[in-house]
Amino acid sequence: MTRGITRRNLIKSAALAGVATTVGSRFAFAAEPLGIALVVPSPIGDVGWGHALKAALDPVKAAYGDAVKITVLENIAEGPDADRIMNKTVADGNKFLIAGSFGYQNGAMQIARRNPDVSVLHASGYMVAPNFSPFAARYYQGTYLMGMAAAALSKTGKLGSVSAFAIPELITSINAFTLGAQAVNPAIEVSVVWVNSWFDPAKEQEAAKALIAQGCDVIFSNAQDTPSVISLCEEAGVYAFNLNSSMKSYAPKTYLGCVATDWSPYFKAQVDAHLTGKFKGASAFLGVADKVVQTVDWNPAIPAETMKKISDIEAKIAAGSFSPFTGPITKADGSQGVAAGATMDDAAIVAMDWHVKGVTSPLPK
Amino acid sequence: MIALQFILSGMLAAATPFLLAALGELVSERTGVLNLGVEGVMALGAAIAFIIVYHGGGHVLAFAGAGLAGLLLSLLFAFATLGLQANQVAAGLAIGILGQGLSALFGKTYESLTVKGLPKLAIPGLSDLPVFGGLFVQDSVVWLSLAATLAIWATFAFTKTGLLLRAVGENPKAAHSIGYPVNAIRVAAVAFGGLMSGFAGAYAATVYTPLWADGMIAGRGWIALALVVFGTWLTARIFLGACLFGAVSLAGLAAQAGGVELPSQLLASLPYLVTIIVLGVISSNRRLLKLNGVASLGEPFKP
Repeated sequence: MTRGITRRNLIKSAALAGVATTVGSRFAFAAEPLGIALVVPSPIGDVGWGHALKAALDPVKAAYGDAVKITVLENIAEGPDADRIMNKTVADGNKFLIAGSFGYQNGAMQIARRNPDVSVLHASGYMVAPNFSPFAARYYQGTYLMGMAAAALSKTGKLGSVSAFAIPELITSINAFTLGAQAVNPAIEVSVVWVNSWFDPAKEQEAAKALIAQGCDVIFSNAQDTPSVISLCEEAGVYAFNLNSSMKSYAPKTYLGCVATDWSPYFKAQVDAHLTGKFKGASAFLGVADKVVQTVDWNPAIPAETMKKISDIEAKIAAGSFSPFTGPITKADGSQGVAAGATMDDAAIVAMDWHVKGVTSPLPK
Repeated sequence: MIALQFILSGMLAAATPFLLAALGELVSERTGVLNLGVEGVMALGAAIAFIIVYHGGGHVLAFAGAGLAGLLLSLLFAFATLGLQANQVAAGLAIGILGQGLSALFGKTYESLTVKGLPKLAIPGLSDLPVFGGLFVQDSVVWLSLAATLAIWATFAFTKTGLLLRAVGENPKAAHSIGYPVNAIRVAAVAFGGLMSGFAGAYAATVYTPLWADGMIAGRGWIALALVVFGTWLTARIFLGACLFGAVSLAGLAAQAGGVELPSQLLASLPYLVTIIVLGVISSNRRLLKLNGVASLGEPFKP
């Protein structure tokens, strides 16, 4: 039904676009607004990934007013349906497409190739074309800081993570979280439960319960769009944090903090580039220095001394003088991950497929 | 040991959404009506129940509302299949899609909000047992579901009503010829199925995972349908299957949390494998299978 409504809106916007073109041809001076379409795979709530993307378009709207027209299409399953819907939005006259999920990659790339006048931003992919830019967040910079706080608060020395799928982006976040925790307490251990689903609140809660039963007392909700894990941890009295947007209201007491993403500077810059004809396809891997990754809503229970260390490291990350992935780093299987003094480059970070020592759960192959 | 305690204490609650929906579907299928819309009916029940609890209506009203919504949606299915003699498979799928759509529509403004679940009730004495104690600390809906399981089993095993339901599914012509209103009985059974699926959805969204997110039923309705078939339309086996499924899925998560060296994909598929294998083995007797199966399942009846 959401999709039905979406379709109806599409028809409506198509009709409006029709009216606009007629009016435009009669009054040649009337400038047509830039149509920006955002497509996301999950329903948009008050929190989560889709919400973060949608909220990032508000400053764009505020800056351009009637010069832009924003359409948000939510709950669009990856696959042929998404291709069809994205094609339709472009056919309706939207010239700026934000494809908000990895799985939209091939369909969005085809659109970019067929429509050179359309600029496409694609979330967490790797393909690049002159009018097609992938974008991703350096979540690992934030999860490293969360790891420091988690280790300071943990009584059991065991941390847990409820994670969606074992892809490099999530693995990297877990590794940085572990390294950050070890920076405070070298003996810390991290257990990971892969739920093998992007979206199953009941299973996510069961996974969190399993981790808590094993003694984990800080939980990292890795890529869950709903407050399933956060609200359960509040009830169970263990600390928890998540990515993308703050869920503090769901866990007023035990919310550790949030690795938030603010895409508005990036979106604004790209819309600027499109409007001035300077859009250039390039991979954007954005972090603390770009003000895209931010840590917010830190729990007041974190000792002041740890908090001081965290903000020092955060400042160093922003200045580019510190990377969580600087050696020596040992892999979970005991072999060398990063040599002493060396720092992983971006290419290695986005392809990471091993756990660091201290992560006790095996990595699915 | 920690893992075992975790599995034992969580198993019944994990099984309850499957159990409630499967019991409803069992009664419906026993009379010969295959309703594939369980997933959608659960979703609708979940949305309605969540909205009621969110606005302070309480869980009793929420379950009533969800049950009623499920019942009404199933009556629509009954109208199409039993009234207009439409194909049951197609109509069931359509009702399922309609239910999911309605749930998304009603739940739109409640996306990713949370509510409070239900408190757990402990059985005094038993809940203090070592290891097994957790099994006896459950919320009230779990206890009621166990009672419902027992009641449905007893109905089929001992009562005239149970016999009548089975007769209608086994040989509707015979039931009709001795004066029973076959289609009316089927409508009632379908309505009961909808009621139970509504309850199952309500449990999922307001007790087990007390939050609303579109699509949160995540295939549990289909699993309930499969449990009815693999449980060969026997209440006890469906109960066993639901518990097994719940226990093995929790075991997979506990194994991962405990660092067991098994691929998580395998652990995630174990509940399906184990349930199918166990139920497949215990119902491998072909003669009994034929005896337990419903002869007129999916076939319309015109008096």
